Amino acid sequence: MRFNEKELVFLSRQPTQRAAELGMRGPKKGDVVKKRFVKLIVNFLFYFRTDEDEPIGALLLEQCRVEREDLQVFSIVFLDEAERKYLFECDSQEQCAEWIDAIIKASYEFMRKNLVYYRTEIHRLTGKDPLEQYGISDETRFQVNSALPPLPPPPPPT
Amino acid sequence: MKLNERSVAHYATCNSPPDKTGFLFKKGERNTAYHRRWCILKGNMLFYFEERESREPIGVIVLEGCTVELCESESEEFAFAIKFECAKARVYKMAAENQAAMESWVKALSRASFDYMRLVVKELERQLEEVQEEARSSQAKSKTKKNQTGLRISSASVQSASITGPCQEGLSNRENGVSWSKPSSVANGLSEGCAWDRDCNVRADGVKPPPIPPRRKTNGGSLESPVSPGTGCFSKLHDWYGKEVAELRVEWLQSQ
Repeated sequence: MRFNEKELVFLSRQPTQRAAELGMRGPKKGDVVKKRFVKLIVNFLFYFRTDEDEPIGALLLEQCRVEREDLQVFSIVFLDEAERKYLFECDSQEQCAEWIDAIIKASYEFMRKNLVYYRTEIHRLTGKDPLEQYGISDETRFQVNSALPPLPPPPPPT
Repeated sequence: MKLNERSVAHYATCNSPPDKTGFLFKKGERNTAYHRRWCILKGNMLFYFEERESREPIGVIVLEGCTVELCESESEEFAFAIKFECAKARVYKMAAENQAAMESWVKALSRASFDYMRLVVKELERQLEEVQEEARSSQAKSKTKKNQTGLRISSASVQSASITGPCQEGLSNRENGVSWSKPSSVANGLSEGCAWDRDCNVRADGVKPPPIPPRRKTNGGSLESPVSPGTGCFSKLHDWYGKEVAELRVEWLQSQ
């Protein structure tokens, strides 16, 4: 699958608050832990060899699950390949917790859900759609009822 | 540079709803003809497929940091370009099938960034805090008055109705009308602390929340909380899902 690598590399150079040297182990059997400089930018996790400008790779953080594996270790697993785990070793429990939290929130879909919640809640409490004043109420990405197929009827009560 | 391509492709076709889909003409890089592609915009990614029925995208354009401009094209009407800041970036020339489609795509693509979404979320988060703060302070003022207006949402019958219950009133956005709303966040006032990032109290009327509604399969991993960052408040999460489910149900009922 083609992707705009140059632009992604450019993105990886942007400043971020969430960057650190972590031990990283790839998902393949036989992969070992290697020291990597890991940078979280928007919904991408870039990883570099220490002191190198260009990232070795990037992980898009949508449709993934982050879990604590150990006191200082967390994993990222992508839902389409749940057996393959990327492991990250932190220096402390605190750092581990912070990274887990940051990665969970670094997802467009996560933000979308928050937005829908806030929008609905504000509307409920005030009777007003908070997006109206910005003229963006109709944007698809902000819709409360997504275009999913409706649920099947519930089973009859027993 | 490596990318978790399989998972990225999966994001394109998984059943989370896309932000926009349609046919666009995309100018090739080496073969400079315009090729008709089925395009799916999801989040900050524009995927393009050979055909609408194709299972895998040919490619993806990560849209973060891009600008979208109308442009002149010798061969295509309704042309626009996706441009990036970085040096020697490729300019993605695209064309829509008509004026309306072009305008719609340009609008959708230019606001597709993560940063834009984050901005809007932060703004709404701030607004909600303001609204809740106001409610708290006005509740404090009126605490001595007996609450006769029935803000307290009728409990057991609504709650036990759960997903199967009538939802007709559920969509009304008046406080009383929302079936899923916890009384503690309205009647007793937010002063009771079911506030943004604090744990919810036990419900004021002591009624147990209904059982967890089925999770929507589209919602990523189990740790992706749909609610505010830091909300460990399960009942809030539950209510939020419940509301969502209720709304979807009403939609379904109305479509019958």
